[in-house]
Amino acid sequence: MVEVFAVASGKGGTGKTTSTVALGMALAERYDVTVVDADTGMANLLFHAGLSEAETTLHDVLADDAAVADAAYERFGMTVIPCGTSLDGFRDADPTRLRDVVATLAADTDVILLDSPPALDSRAAVLPVVMADRIVVVLQPTIPAISDGLKVQEYATSYGTGIAGLLFNKVREDERIDDVTAKTERYFDGPTLAAVPETERAREARRAGRPLLAHAPDCAAATAYHRAADALSVDHGESGDVADRFRSAVIPETP
Amino acid sequence: MKLPRGTLRKSRVVSDPRETLADVLDRTVTGYAVFESQETLLLDADGRGVVTFEDGVPVLAYHTGTDRGGPRALADLAVPGPYHVSVFELDTADLATAHEAAELRVPPGMPAERLAGDPALADSTRRAAPDDRTPTTAQTADDHSAVEAFLENEEKIAAIREQAREEARARADEWDF
Repeated sequence: MVEVFAVASGKGGTGKTTSTVALGMALAERYDVTVVDADTGMANLLFHAGLSEAETTLHDVLADDAAVADAAYERFGMTVIPCGTSLDGFRDADPTRLRDVVATLAADTDVILLDSPPALDSRAAVLPVVMADRIVVVLQPTIPAISDGLKVQEYATSYGTGIAGLLFNKVREDERIDDVTAKTERYFDGPTLAAVPETERAREARRAGRPLLAHAPDCAAATAYHRAADALSVDHGESGDVADRFRSAVIPETP
Repeated sequence: MKLPRGTLRKSRVVSDPRETLADVLDRTVTGYAVFESQETLLLDADGRGVVTFEDGVPVLAYHTGTDRGGPRALADLAVPGPYHVSVFELDTADLATAHEAAELRVPPGMPAERLAGDPALADSTRRAAPDDRTPTTAQTADDHSAVEAFLENEEKIAAIREQAREEARARADEWDF
C-alpha cells in the first residue's frame, strides 16, 4: 500500500527540501513515510535531517556499493534516504537505478516522498517526476516560479504523472495570496494544499540541521504544512503493483 | 529609449536572469543589460528587454518587441529562459538623458522579483538603492498585482504550457521514457 509523490519545482530556492521534510513529518502522524533525496547532483536533504555525517547514502546504493537498507535512517518519525555530497559519489551513481530503490522501498511503506531536482534539463532531473504517481508542486507567488511550476506540471502530465496539489511557500504578509492562489489554481490540475508563510524559523532550522516541524513545531509555517498534509489525500496502490511498475518502467541506462 | 553602445562586458546565455541581476549588483555596474529570450515559440518573445543600472541597481526597463516600458516591460520579459544576455558599461552621464524618462522607471527590487523570482535578491537590491529611490506604496502594490496580471494573461500561459508539453514530448523521445 503505497503512493509515491515527487515534490518538485521548476526552479531552485522555493524551499522544496524544507517542504519535503515538513510534509513528510506531518504525514508521518498518519502514515509510514519514507523521504528520498532524489536530487542526486545537489544533495540537500541530509542537512535538513541531521544526517550530514551519514556514512552510507543513496549515492552508494546507486553505485551498487550498498543495499537500500544501509542508506535508510530513522529520523523524526520517518525513514530518510539521504544523498551524499561528494562529486565522486555523484559521478559513480547511476540515477536510473533509482527506480529499483523506489521499488524496494515501496514494499514496506505507505508514502514515498521524492525530493526532486529543481530543473527539467536532464533525464536524471526529470526521472523522479516520471516515476512518481503524483507530484506536489512547490511555488512561490512570483511570475518565474509560477511559470516554471506550470512547466513541471506539463512534463508530469505528459509522462502520465498526476498533480496532487500546489504548495505556496515563502509567502509574505503583504502578498494578496488568496487572489494569487485562486488565479493560479485555474491552470493546475490540483488544489492549493496550503500557503506557507515566509519564516526566519526555516533558516534557523536548516542551520540547526533539524526539520522545521521539529525546530519550531508551533510556528505559523509548521501549522500550514500540517494543513497541507491533511489536504493531501493519499491513494494507496497495492505495494506489489507499484514495485512491479517501477521495475518494469522503461528507463534505459545512461549511455 | 536611446543609449550609447558602451563597453561590452559580458555576452552569454543564462538559464535564469537572476545570475545577471546578482552579478550586476555585486559589481555595482553602471550601464545596461539586454535580455533576449532564446525561446522563439513564446508570445512576447520577439524583441529584447533592456534594463539599465546605476551602481548595480536597476533604473529603467524597456521591451523592444512590445514597445512598453517600466513594470509592463518586465512583465513582457518574464518568459521562461534561457536568455542571451549582454551587459554594457557606461558612464553615469551617458545614462542621464535616458533616465529622465519617468514612464520607463521601475522600482529597484522589481526586476529581481519579476524576472528572477528572488525576493532575497530584491531585498539586497533595495538596500543598495539610494534613499530617493524607495518605492512608493503604489509601486509596491503594483509589484504584487503583476503576478495577478500575469495569471490573467490566459494566452501567454497557454503558450507556456504548450511549449512545455512539446518539450516534454521531444525529450521523451530523446530520453526514451
